[in-house]
Parts: sequence; structure tokens; C-alpha cells
Amino acid sequence: MTIPAEKSHFISVTVNGERAILHVSPRRLLADLLRDDLGLTGTHVGCGTGECGSCTVIIDGETVRSCLTLAVQADGATIETIESVGSSGRLHPVQRAFHTHHALQCGFCTPGIIISAVALFRKNTRPADAEIAEVLQGHLCRCTGYRNMIDALRSIAHAEDR
Amino acid sequence: MAAGRLVGTPVPRFEDKRLLLGQARFVADINIPRTLHMAIVRSTRAHAVIEGIDTSRAGAASGVRRVVTGADIVEAIAPLPSIDLAGGGLVACYRALAAGKVRHVGEPVAAVFADDPFQAADAAALLDVAYRDLPVVLDMEAAASATPPTLLYESLGSNVIHTCEQSVGDAAAAFAAAHRVVEDTYRIHRCVASPMETRGVLADPTGQDGRIVLYSSTQFPHLVRSFLAGVLGMAESDLRVIAPDVGGGFGVKCEFYPEEVLAVWAARTLGRPVRWIEARDDHFVATTHAREQVHRVRAVVDSDGIVTAMMLDSLTNNGAAAATLSVTPASISSAMLRGPYRIPNYSARSRSVVTNKTPLAVYRGAGHPQAVLCMELTMDHIARAMNIDRVDLRRRNMLAAADMPSDRGTAIVLAGKVVYDSGDYAGCLARALDLAGWKSRDERAADARRRGKLFGIGIACLVEETASGPYETGGVRVDGTGRVTVFTGASPHGQGTATAIAQLIADELEIDINRVSVRHGDTDVIPDGVGTFASRGGAIGGAAARLAARKVREKALVVAAEMLQATPADVVWAEGKALAANGASVTLAAIAGRATAWNARPKGLTSFNLAEEAHYQVPGMAFANATHICELEIDPGTGELAITGYAVVHDCGTVINPMIVEGQVVGGIAQGLGGTLFEEIRYDKSGQPLTGRLADYLLPTAADMPATLRTNSMVSPSPFNPFGMKGAGEGGATGAVAAISSAVADALAPLGVRVTSDGPFTPPALLHMIKSGGRTAAA
Repeated sequence: MTIPAEKSHFISVTVNGERAILHVSPRRLLADLLRDDLGLTGTHVGCGTGECGSCTVIIDGETVRSCLTLAVQADGATIETIESVGSSGRLHPVQRAFHTHHALQCGFCTPGIIISAVALFRKNTRPADAEIAEVLQGHLCRCTGYRNMIDALRSIAHAEDR
Repeated sequence: MAAGRLVGTPVPRFEDKRLLLGQARFVADINIPRTLHMAIVRSTRAHAVIEGIDTSRAGAASGVRRVVTGADIVEAIAPLPSIDLAGGGLVACYRALAAGKVRHVGEPVAAVFADDPFQAADAAALLDVAYRDLPVVLDMEAAASATPPTLLYESLGSNVIHTCEQSVGDAAAAFAAAHRVVEDTYRIHRCVASPMETRGVLADPTGQDGRIVLYSSTQFPHLVRSFLAGVLGMAESDLRVIAPDVGGGFGVKCEFYPEEVLAVWAARTLGRPVRWIEARDDHFVATTHAREQVHRVRAVVDSDGIVTAMMLDSLTNNGAAAATLSVTPASISSAMLRGPYRIPNYSARSRSVVTNKTPLAVYRGAGHPQAVLCMELTMDHIARAMNIDRVDLRRRNMLAAADMPSDRGTAIVLAGKVVYDSGDYAGCLARALDLAGWKSRDERAADARRRGKLFGIGIACLVEETASGPYETGGVRVDGTGRVTVFTGASPHGQGTATAIAQLIADELEIDINRVSVRHGDTDVIPDGVGTFASRGGAIGGAAARLAARKVREKALVVAAEMLQATPADVVWAEGKALAANGASVTLAAIAGRATAWNARPKGLTSFNLAEEAHYQVPGMAFANATHICELEIDPGTGELAITGYAVVHDCGTVINPMIVEGQVVGGIAQGLGGTLFEEIRYDKSGQPLTGRLADYLLPTAADMPATLRTNSMVSPSPFNPFGMKGAGEGGATGAVAAISSAVADALAPLGVRVTSDGPFTPPALLHMIKSGGRTAAA
């Protein structure tokens, strides 16, 4: 077996509002591009095969597993990662709800879940329990048993003054 | 949050914000220039002689700086230690890279170091290893037999690496006079903890003085430092081990692994940082597995349903080598089998056996889930056989609160004698029955049956050893602004222990908790510590830290007395200040400033600074207890199982933070549920693993959680802990395995099925049991 010579490509992506032009090999994963080339290490890789959901980011408005996406596929795309959600002084409502409901423990899977929940609430400010459940089923968490996450997301969906 | 009594209140966690914002730093998030990436070449054979390794193609591949095989490092790196094992079995200790032969699929055979992780992986695929296959043994009973199909360690002459025995009273005499003997063989299947962050290491030799900094996703950085020094012949002072943010551990990260040694060795040898991040498929073969045991249990029961004696003969399938904690699963399950029940006569023999599977060690609950499963299913079997109510039978046999402390006559390796400290087991059972709606269960059963479902309700009463391990360290330092830094030897990885410890310190010093910060997980910052495992972080780490804070408070009063021109006896501590009889006061900040080195030493002090340390040694283990009740329905046509109700009442002594404790209990139940309903590490006959990713090894999702889950707690403070605390980390997982299995047994009992395993009760397995009614165990 010989290793094929790799032809690199220039891609242009807008990540968290900032445009970047990058030179990437065809097999570079979007997750690695975000983490290693751009230093956005809040996106975590838990399995590398699309099952756990920790690496979820938003591409052009849709949630995507960045471990299953090649960097070249993201050429021209607008990408949002956990680093664009909330700030130290002002947590996003989903982050605040996770904090008050103790919906995270080790926190490794949390960024991917926050991203999916943010995308859910953008599409529907008052999602039904079944929609919340469907979104959470796309994620694995080994610490919490999910119950507090469900409660956190319900608390936003049912909040009076949103 | 303002000053006041915080212990016992649900203080939100300090840990959360960085995690929520994506600002945490896990090992894989740390980047150091010029890092080399390590790829491990793993054995593809379950048992084989390595006849030769050709590294030429791999070594010549693009970006490769070094290829190392077992022969290259056999002199430089000693076998990895097993700390709970003694005697001849030590020959089974793991090597960083296989030497001469391989004993399981996934065993490290060689390491490739390259400039980029893809280059390292590409080159690893080019390594040519010539194997000569040997007979394979996977079954622990075959491995332990007098004529095993193969020996993993020929010099040992046996596949049994350790035997532990327990003897209490006179079990043999009780058997001789038995009214009835209930006997079963229980099989507990193999699982893997699967934290969402896999393991990972980064060894950096570019710091000062040739020291190596190892960042490792570990539960016990101080022990890793000691082990590294031992196997590499280095001084501990030349090593700094940092556990950065760690994404869950559950026991698999309180093991010492080949990759930690190889990264440090290579960083020293090659002079460049070395990084290795475990891929999930590697995790399934390279991180310790758990649980797999077989227990032959015999119980002697008198005509009143009193269990007068038990005998246990058990095997633990330790896989291919002795792990860091190799004997602990066998030891705990044999020492703790009788749980909350009196059973005055008991004897046990528990053998730890090597086979051609991945090494096995501890996972949340260690040997407890297996013990509770055997005991509780035995109770169910006795109740059915003698037509005694299940609850009543348990009550008749339970230790009473008045029996405490209760010397159980057994011992756990490393941890010592089993002496139950406190607990109201019958009270806990009664409250759990109320919480679960036990009295109205027949109505729900009738409703389920009307809908064509099989209905089952299961009970698990458990006692678990917590807060064990020799000691923990704590340090408290107050600066001139009145800010308090706490240093703990515990090394939390998701539990929220830093918040819990801050609560203890804020209470002790009567200050605003926001003035407290907690440091952990760095052997240069905290020179001595033990770590977080065995449900010990809060209970022992918290006790050590609070004792240090108490010393700080006493010291502060001495300093304050001088400042207030009073005698120390006339100064009291209140609301974070020292108060003199005349009403004058000085703040913690002022006292700390006064005690610094640029002032004259305060009268009555032998040292400067408002800083103290405590080294808390455990006088005895603390024993937590709980009752879990699980209600479920099974569709007899499809085998689909739904947990319709779950109730747990637990007692972990004085609670620091009930929100965190409840999170531990519920998260533990989810893990127990996963292991009982879906998760199983499987192999084919040749020892090839069949579960290699999260698509074959199913972790529970949000949809799999019980439809209702009620929790409640009791508080029986531990007399062995200065603050009454017991551990809370493992009871959820420990109870869930038995409660769910007991409920399945109840659902299938009308069909004549006798359940003697912890599943996994997958739909196909349940269908098989339903169709073959009367046959034992899961398919």
C-alpha cells in the first residue's frame, strides 16, 4: 500500500462571524479544522463516527456532526460553534437553564447538546416535549441520566416571559 | 451566595460556566508546538506468539520520527503495577508494549511517532507483525479449570492470578443442619464504562530542568506520578502530572495505562511533546472492561425464612492481564455479598482469572453491582420457593439500626475490615416502598395485563462501601484580600466536588462562598494527594479540606487576639470575622494581611501566613445504603421492555449538596440501566471483539430513561467521618442493575423463567426467555 499524495484545497468559511481562508487536505475533518486550525476547542469529538453528538455545530442554520463532515464540504459555509453561544457575562438562556437545572456534570458532551438546543429554539420558541425528546435522543451523555436536561429545556419552552 | 450555612443546600456549580461556554480544557484541547503524535499498533490476535515485527515500511513513511516495539523498551520500562495484587499473580502485570506474545485483541504491540496524527495512523497500518496463533480461552470457567485450553502465563502454571477468601461464623455447620438450601449460579456480563471523553495523554519535555509534564485524562494524577517514576526509574520530582478538565471517569481512569508510560518515555527520548488521544474504537479494546463474573451462591434458610448461612464460589474474568486494580472487583463482591442482611455464617472463595479478553478492572460500583444482584435475586428466589412476601423476607433478615456499628467479619483488599458504621436499612426500605406506590402495585399490574403486557416490580436493598482509600490532603490559604484558595488531593472529573468543597470551607470560615476557589489535579500545585474514586472525593477530600480550614480559623483567632489586644480565649469567630468581647472586630482579610511575611510574626504563632494543611486519614470506611424499586412492562410479542416507574431512597450520611447528590444517583441509575438493558461487550469464539463502536455497544439515550423517576434521601451520619459524610457516587449504578433484573425476574416468573443474570435484557434475549420459559438466564 502506498499513501496517495494529497492535493490540498483552499476553502473559505465564516466561523462565528469571522471569515477564514484555509488550506486543507481533502481528508481533513471539519471537527479538526475547527479545533486545531482555528483553536475552537469547545467542539468536542467523543466518538468520531457520528453516534455521540458531542461535535455538533450549526452549518448554514442546520445542525451537523462536524466529525462526519469533511472540511472541504464546508467551503463557503457559515458555521456556528459553541464559542458563539453566550458569554461569560451573559449566558444564553439554554446555558442558563442547564446551569440552574444541573443538566451537566463532566461537561464533555454539553457543547454539542447546547448547540442542538439553540437550533431547536430558533426554529420553535415553544417546542413540545416530544420535540425536545427527539433532539436529545441525538446525543449521548454518560453522566447525567438526561432527566435534568429535559427539565432545563422544558423550563425554557414553558417560560412565561420569553 | 451570601455567607451562612451552605452545607445541605443546592448551591449551583462553579464548574459549569467554562463547560457551558466551550472554554474548558480537556487533554485534546491542549496544543503545544512541535508535538509528535503517537499511534499504537494493537494486536489483531487474541493469543499469539509474536514471531517478528518488520518496522521498515512504517519507519520510512512520511512524517514518521520513530517506531518502537516491545523488544526496544523491555529494559527501559518495567511492567505496570497492580496495586491490589500480591504473590505469583504479579507475573500477569501488563507491559507497555507486548513482549514475546500477545494475549488479547487490542494489546499494544508497537508505537509510531509522527508529525501529524494522520501520518502516525497511516504508518501504523504499515507495520508488519508475524503472529503464530495459540489456543484461545475466553470463558473464565474453562480458564480456571484443572485442564484449561491454554495458559496465558506459563510460569504461573494456572490462569488463576488470585484467590480471596472470606470466612464468618461456621457456614459448613449451618449447611449440615439446613432446613432448605437455595442455590443458583449467577452470570454477570462484561461492560465498559465509556465516559464521553475517551482517554488521552500529552507529555511535554520542553519545560524547565528536563522535567516532564504529563497531561492525562486521569482520576488520580498523584498515583500516575508515582507509577511513572516506578516503571521508568525516574525521580517523582522530575515529573509533573496534570489532570486538566476530565470528561468522566467512572473507574476506568483510575487505572494506569501503557499510553501514559509510552508518552513520557518518548517525550524524554525524542525531546518533543508527545500526544495520544484514544479513538472510540480503541476505547473498546484498550480501556479496562468491567463487571464480568460468575457466582455460585448457596443460601441456607430456616423454616421462618431466616437466612442462616451463605456460601459463595465466584470467578472474575480479569481478561488478559492484572490491571492496576485487578482483585478489587472480586474482593468487594465477596466481602459485600450479604449487603444489609444479617446472615451470621458466611464463607466465600473468589478467584480472579486471566483470559484472552481486554483486562478488566473497576467501573462505578466496582464489585457491588454484582454482589447486590446475587443477593437480591437470591432473596426473590427464596421468597418464591417458600411463599413468603418478598418485602417481609428482606425485613426479617435485615440488620437493625441498633446493630450499628456492625463488624461483618469480612475484609476488602486495600480498604480493610468491613464494619458497617450507620444506617437504617428497614427504614429506607419502608420509605422506598411508599415512594414507589408499592401498595397499589397490583392495580398497575392488572392494568398492564389488560393491555397484554407482562408486569414486573423489583427491589434492591444495598449497602456499599464508600469513602475508602488511605487518606486525602487538603490545604487552605487566605490572601490579604480575604480570598481563600483550597487545595485538594481529590481529582474530580465531573462530580462537582470543587463546589461541594467550597461549601464546606465557606461554612467553616463563615464567609461568602464566592471568595473561595478550589484547585485540584496538578501534582506541582498539590504535592500530595490520592484522587477521586471509590466515592471518596467529597467525603474524604472534603473532610481534609474542612479540617485545614478549621486550623486556619484557629490560627486566625490567635492573630486577631493580638490585633484586638485581647486574649485568644476572649475572641470568637462569627460571620467571617474575629470578634472581641468589647465588640471590636477584625476581618479575615485584615488578619491574613497581618500574618504575612512582611509584618513581624504575630504573637503566639510559630509560622507566618494564614495557610494550613490537613492530612485526613480514614479510621474506617463509610457505608452508604439505598433501596431501589423498579417497575417495568414487557411486551411478550416483541420483547420490548419499558421501565414505567423507578423509585430510590438513598442514604449517604450528611449531604453537602443535595442537587449534586441527586445528579449522581440519577446518572448512576442511567448507567446501571444501560448495562442491564443494552450494553454488552461481546467476542466471537476466536476472541475477536464484536462491539467496536457506539453503534454496536448501545449507551442509554434520553428516550430510555424511566417514565417516572422519584428520589428521596435519608441521613445517617457516619461516625467515622468528622463531618458525618459518606460517598454518593456509585450507589445509583449499584442498585439499578439488581432492581431492574429483579423486576424482569418478577415479570417472567409466571412463565416459569428463573432469572440468574443481569441481562442484558434486550428484546431478542427477552423473547428467547419468554419462548423457552423455564430455562435460565438470558440468551
